[in-house]
Amino acid sequence: MKKLMLALASIALMATSAMAVAPTEVTDMKIKAKEKAGVVKAKISIKHDMLTYDQAKKKGVEANFITHITATVGDKVVYDASTSQFLSKNPLIKFVFNGKKGDEIKITYTQLKGEVFFATKAIK
Amino acid sequence: MKKSIMSLVAVAAMTVSLSATDYRAEKPDAWTAHTVPTAIKALYGEITPADADIKLKAPKVASNGGSIPVSVKTDIPAKSVAIFQDANPEATVVVFTVPEGSAADFALKIKMKKSGTITAIVEGKDGKFYSTKLALEVALGGCEG
Repeated sequence: MKKLMLALASIALMATSAMAVAPTEVTDMKIKAKEKAGVVKAKISIKHDMLTYDQAKKKGVEANFITHITATVGDKVVYDASTSQFLSKNPLIKFVFNGKKGDEIKITYTQLKGEVFFATKAIK
Repeated sequence: MKKSIMSLVAVAAMTVSLSATDYRAEKPDAWTAHTVPTAIKALYGEITPADADIKLKAPKVASNGGSIPVSVKTDIPAKSVAIFQDANPEATVVVFTVPEGSAADFALKIKMKKSGTITAIVEGKDGKFYSTKLALEVALGGCEG
């Protein structure tokens, strides 16, 4: 019983810690999403340095790269990638999913220290 | 009381599995592995992937190692797709979770320090693993900054 309560408490703690990071909206993300016969082709360019540990060491700054990218339409996850430091600088991603014109696509990314950023765009 | 807590826990667990999977949090060892086999082992465990029809595309000679277009596409009903390479200090590049109702068709740009081999692993919904490899030359390394 005590164990269960503990598990519950830890779950609640996890939920609050996840909520603690407020996502910031970014304006320099390029999103192109176009529907054709029910299939949406999405092309996204995120402005990010993607500094690897090696590069950061040379420059004398801290490494910073995107660790997770998610795309959602409504409540539905349409793209989900856990990423490493080896994505190119200003990473470009492309993917396809079933969707329709007019819906709003939301791209969320998390960087190394846990900051979350997002941008939205209507599907054309 | 006990039962209600149990169901609460079950609900919490369900919401977790419904949302996106963070492979960095779940499999931290896979991201620090230095070779492709150890990275695959850390991510998926002991597996013997079969050769299958996975379309892994990248230029034969990449002029700029800082930005190599790589695409992976397969008709296999997939649960997840992972991309590795053996040129950089760590092997894992990206792990995609294939969302329900979506096909595995991804493209992205990656960095490679020198010439090497890209490996793609597809985790099928049937629990089997499939893989393919592609060697490419990098004219100018991309990790020097």
